[in-house]
Amino acid sequence: MRRRWTGSALPGLGLAGGAIAGALVAGLSGIAGPHRSIAASPVGAPFIEATHVPVSLTVPGEPIALRYDVYCAGSDESIDEGSCDATGSVFVRAGDTGAFEETPLVLDPNATGGRYVARVPDDIARSAEGFSYYATVQSVATGATTTEPAGGASAPQRSFPIGRSVDIHLGAHLFGATAAPDRRVAQAPWGDGPGEAGLERGQGLTPLGGSSFDVTTGGTVDVLDEAHRRILRWTDGATTPERVPVAVNGTLADLAVSTDGDSMYVLESTAEPGRSPLVREFSRDGRAKSSARIGERMASQVRMGPTGPVALEQPSGAWMPVMEGGEAVAPEDQRRRGRSGRPVAGGDDIVILRTENEIRTAIVGPRGVRRSWRVTSDTPIGEVQLAQPLGSRLVLVFRVYTETRSEFVALVLDERGVVRQLSLDPADWAETAPLAKFRVAGKWLYRLGSTSRGLFVDRFDLEVS
Amino acid sequence: MLRSCRPFVVAFAFAFVLIGAGSASAYHTRFVALNCTTSAGDPTPYITRDGSITIALKARHEGYQWAGGCWNDNDVDDSPGDPPSDPNTGGEGGDCSGFTFKIWRESENENDAGFYQWNKLWKVHGPYTAAAFKAGTGAPNVTVSKSAAIKMDAFASSGHIGMIYAKNADGTDQIVEAKGEAYGTNVWTRTYRGDSSYSGVRRTGWSS
Repeated sequence: MRRRWTGSALPGLGLAGGAIAGALVAGLSGIAGPHRSIAASPVGAPFIEATHVPVSLTVPGEPIALRYDVYCAGSDESIDEGSCDATGSVFVRAGDTGAFEETPLVLDPNATGGRYVARVPDDIARSAEGFSYYATVQSVATGATTTEPAGGASAPQRSFPIGRSVDIHLGAHLFGATAAPDRRVAQAPWGDGPGEAGLERGQGLTPLGGSSFDVTTGGTVDVLDEAHRRILRWTDGATTPERVPVAVNGTLADLAVSTDGDSMYVLESTAEPGRSPLVREFSRDGRAKSSARIGERMASQVRMGPTGPVALEQPSGAWMPVMEGGEAVAPEDQRRRGRSGRPVAGGDDIVILRTENEIRTAIVGPRGVRRSWRVTSDTPIGEVQLAQPLGSRLVLVFRVYTETRSEFVALVLDERGVVRQLSLDPADWAETAPLAKFRVAGKWLYRLGSTSRGLFVDRFDLEVS
Repeated sequence: MLRSCRPFVVAFAFAFVLIGAGSASAYHTRFVALNCTTSAGDPTPYITRDGSITIALKARHEGYQWAGGCWNDNDVDDSPGDPPSDPNTGGEGGDCSGFTFKIWRESENENDAGFYQWNKLWKVHGPYTAAAFKAGTGAPNVTVSKSAAIKMDAFASSGHIGMIYAKNADGTDQIVEAKGEAYGTNVWTRTYRGDSSYSGVRRTGWSS
């Protein structure tokens, strides 16, 4: 006889079944998760990799050596005590066409860094067009190989003679004489409210918040509030932000917004196991449009290029196109199209090389260096945060530091030298993506800053009076 | 239909929340229990910067565990999402200072500047916090000018430490570090060198 459940019996059954199902789902979903058991087995794979600071801008008469550090390991459990035993060559040619000439990499046992070195043949080093090069190295023990940059002959490193640079010596930096902003265009206290910016905290973790920002030509400021998975948007003159949810995984992500503000690109810094990080594209209202894996293991910044977002990818240190026309560029195509400079509107590239207390920077066109500068300082120079054309000029923002202090210096450079100079408070209480503190839009320099109370974006006038 | 499902839904939600909340504070992986051992470090005659970088690179993509110091080499965080404020969750990974301690092959005795090999599956954190490293505490450690810091030197703040893997052309550094629960252990581009909250730290005694 089939028993028919009556209406009065259903609530009891529902309660019991629901409780059991809820408990099961909670346990299985990992929310409960006491004593989760993952007995993992070590499965280290052999690897080899090389690091190299590209010799992207050279000064006449200086010796040119291409130095690499090489690291490798086998798959066994042994712990290597010394250097990677590797062999390899650099392939170099004058200019950027023609056949490459092979030059062996030789171990320099006395060097602390760049222990594998290749000398560029004099005739190539002296070429008026500069030279291009790539290296291949192989582990003697495992046979594993790697190419640096990853694009090899298709996208070699490019080295340009800096030509008749404008040389600027800044002397010792005077700390404490920082410029006041012309206007604070955005601000939000830390918190979880509608108009507040989130902080990511943890043991041993510097507070992270407002990981990046960008500004459209119309003056709209978008701040990536990654802790809340949203964009905080201030249209020009607004005092409270609009909130735009975006489906990102955060982790010190960088942000680039198209000049019209219609597309936003978020570069994440971590990825699922075995994958490279993602660049995600969102519409102005936060709708996910597309995504692309970067071509290498990691990337430090994303910017708008002439035809779409470009990312500075490591270990190559090359700028690579990530998306074009709304379509992802395949990782192997990214690697094949890597460039030593950041492509900007008009077909130029901006090339940067910081060596000790000097910054070399150049605007490079199809026929070589169009304009270049060498900036030196008696105070140590840290990272170059921004190098951005402003009409016929170049805006250069970099950090100077001592053991206990740091400030940023913003220079507006033209063909004669410095036409405007500002010292800027670092305002870096919260950690951001590494190169996300400054943007240029119109005639303005924007700075993303923070204190223990909240984040803000300040605007500085770059116009020369 | 919806009406008849209501008891099930209510009970489901109640049980889900109750079970989840009740055991969140008791979150434990068993990574350490299942995979890790304790052992004294093996003395080694010398260390090289390149050799230590290689060991650090093998820890990439592994987890982060506050006060931890044990990881494998399968390129997966085997205990993702454990509460970052609890040091006793038994998760995979070192924290920033424990990771540095093992990579720098230091002694648990602060007065000993010798070199000790620590297998990745040996659970050891060492005696130093990031702040202690920043101050150059311990016989093997000294502070160093940030502008002079080279590969396998470190930058340390009062709450974090990461070691230099490579320099970039734009003046940033590639840092190998155990960053945090959401990040695990990996190499990232950082601007610690110029950051006034960070100091340069060097492990002494490298052979090359």
